[in-house]
Amino acid sequence: MDLTPSDEQVMLGDMVRRFLADRQNTANMGRGPIPRDDWRALGELGLFSFLLPETAGGMGGRPQDAVIIAEELGRSMAITPLAETVLLCAGLIARRGSAGQIARWVQPVMQGEYILAYAGGGAIRYDGACLDGQTHIVQHGMDASAFVVALPERQGAVLVSAAADGLTRTPVRLADGTVAAEVRFDAVAADPLEATANDLDTAIAHAELATIAEMIGTMTTLYEQTVDYIQQRRQFGVAIGSFQVIQHRAARLFVMLEQSRSMMLKAALVEEDERIRMVTAAKAYVADAALRLAQDATQLHGGMGVTDELPVGRGHRRLLVLSHLFGGALAARARLAS
Amino acid sequence: MDLALSPAQAAFRDEVRAFLRDALPEHLRHGARLTSGVFVEPDIGREWQAILEARGWLVYHWPRDAGGPGWTPIQRWIFEKECAEAGTPALPGMGLKLVGPVLYRFGTETQKAEYLPKLRNGEHFWAQGFSEPGAGSDLASLRTRAVRDGDHYVVTGQKIWTTQAQFANRLFCLVRTDPEVKPQRGISFLLIDMASPGVTVRPILSASGDHELNEVFLDEVRVPVANRVGDEGQGWTIAKFLLDNERGGSSFGPQLIADLARLRALAGPFEGELVTRATRLALEAEALEMTELRTLIELEAGTPPGPRTLVTKLIASEIRQGIDELAVDAFGLAGLQLPAERPFYGADVPAPVGSRDAQIAAGRYLNSRAWSIFGGTSEIQLTVIAKNAVGL
Repeated sequence: MDLTPSDEQVMLGDMVRRFLADRQNTANMGRGPIPRDDWRALGELGLFSFLLPETAGGMGGRPQDAVIIAEELGRSMAITPLAETVLLCAGLIARRGSAGQIARWVQPVMQGEYILAYAGGGAIRYDGACLDGQTHIVQHGMDASAFVVALPERQGAVLVSAAADGLTRTPVRLADGTVAAEVRFDAVAADPLEATANDLDTAIAHAELATIAEMIGTMTTLYEQTVDYIQQRRQFGVAIGSFQVIQHRAARLFVMLEQSRSMMLKAALVEEDERIRMVTAAKAYVADAALRLAQDATQLHGGMGVTDELPVGRGHRRLLVLSHLFGGALAARARLAS
Repeated sequence: MDLALSPAQAAFRDEVRAFLRDALPEHLRHGARLTSGVFVEPDIGREWQAILEARGWLVYHWPRDAGGPGWTPIQRWIFEKECAEAGTPALPGMGLKLVGPVLYRFGTETQKAEYLPKLRNGEHFWAQGFSEPGAGSDLASLRTRAVRDGDHYVVTGQKIWTTQAQFANRLFCLVRTDPEVKPQRGISFLLIDMASPGVTVRPILSASGDHELNEVFLDEVRVPVANRVGDEGQGWTIAKFLLDNERGGSSFGPQLIADLARLRALAGPFEGELVTRATRLALEAEALEMTELRTLIELEAGTPPGPRTLVTKLIASEIRQGIDELAVDAFGLAGLQLPAERPFYGADVPAPVGSRDAQIAAGRYLNSRAWSIFGGTSEIQLTVIAKNAVGL
């Protein structure tokens, strides 16, 4: 048992933090996706290839490495498609795709050129060659160069280029400022992936873990900003943080954050055969805690908490989205109970 | 970073597991399962204490130079985890967890030689005389007076909430030796023989009908000065050391996880809202176990524990109360039984409606309300977290 990050992991966290510190500030953090140039720059730094398997030309980064990067993104509220593009889509193709599929889709992801999106729901029909139907809301769907589409009953997945004939998409702006898409398929040629339901669940677990770490990062920022605020804000001649009712609420935030971090760490560090269950458990816990923390951070900021001015309101929006991805806490609890 | 046990730790776990399989008698497991109170009944507690002492594992949380087995923090956790899963009784904690560490840390050689062996062999059964009617969360305001008279103190006052004082033959006690100085600096730590003239114990029955609590009246009780631990006026420092041990000494998570799993097995499968509540409790307990483990892993690596340790008692209280409330709901009307006879594993208790586990649910539910009160109320815990962890 060891919870000390390796030197390499410390350097990794520092690198991402420094990169983001130059670009994210209280005025722009959490307003929407980071610029495509910044995403490309992260690819050029080698961050994405670091996380992908060696068989696909990556460096075989582990879940415990991915959460370090994702937590830093969350801390500075840098909204990116890391989880969906790199860990879910590119990760699945890298592990189960053909050499041709890897060359066509994974290589450009590593360089930050392509964004891939995952379509996991909706009414889809697949006849072995072509897709018909309509997806549910697909995160980052308007920016995607291609889609990994889960087949009904999760009987594997297929790849579809965004440029394919018969594919149309409608933009949907989400609460965190990202633009998702509803994607429609009319006899669209699809490229099958040799992926089982378990392959898909594993890739989703790796992506979902990254979103959990991202929540932890954003929760940490909201916690810190809230503690600062209640020490500065004065009413009745004193800092409001001197009132016991405020202190107890702040103490609850500390408790929630520590408990949430514990679940994230455990989900990142368990053996691979326990990953899916543990990520589900962590999601069920952290998604709930994230929203409660965001609500309390809003409350403790008073009127400023409900505005668009401060990072707290934007962090709340981002946590609202992150906590509901992949079915959110409700679906996670249902999976645990079954 | 990794969470796997090392080969040596895994071998240790197997050793503990094998020991528990062979050495834990069924009637002790049964007794532990059917204990309604917060504290272990002395009969099963003493028997388990003797079994562990014979194996050399009784004072597993004491350092080696105090007579402990020299286990690391992770070994202690492994032991507690295995005990929780095996369903062992708890140990009488006032002596082993509270006064024992005070004695090996602050006691004279004479005191150590006199008290530690008798603590370990069960000859001394200890009670804790801290709280008073006017000194609960505000412990430093305690008023029990100890007046020096030659080689003795003459002690007069009243202690309350004294757990299992009816079984105890020794009392460790905070007394005021100097009323003139700042409250914290006038307190001393005394060891009192419960057979001394002037000691009276009066029971306080809990709402559950269990008798765990007492008032202890001290009326001009003569206590040898040699029974003072530490210097005169050092009692507050010792009390803080003791309370730190009380909170940080052992882990809550493993027991809560095991108890919830047992409840699921006995009363499940749950339906409807009970599923949600059970799932939430299980998640909170799993998070707590990992929160505790994070601290232990740091301690193992030689890093001093951070403010994170402050959160465990608060969370453990809430999970404990949640599990015991869930049990009452899960057993339905059978969860409302509350016979007056004790203990529940004894021969005098009438046959249950449903199961013994249903019969014990209401008593457990009522008793576990004490969790958020003893050892620092949840409100005090939140204030301490706000001050020392949040930095307010």
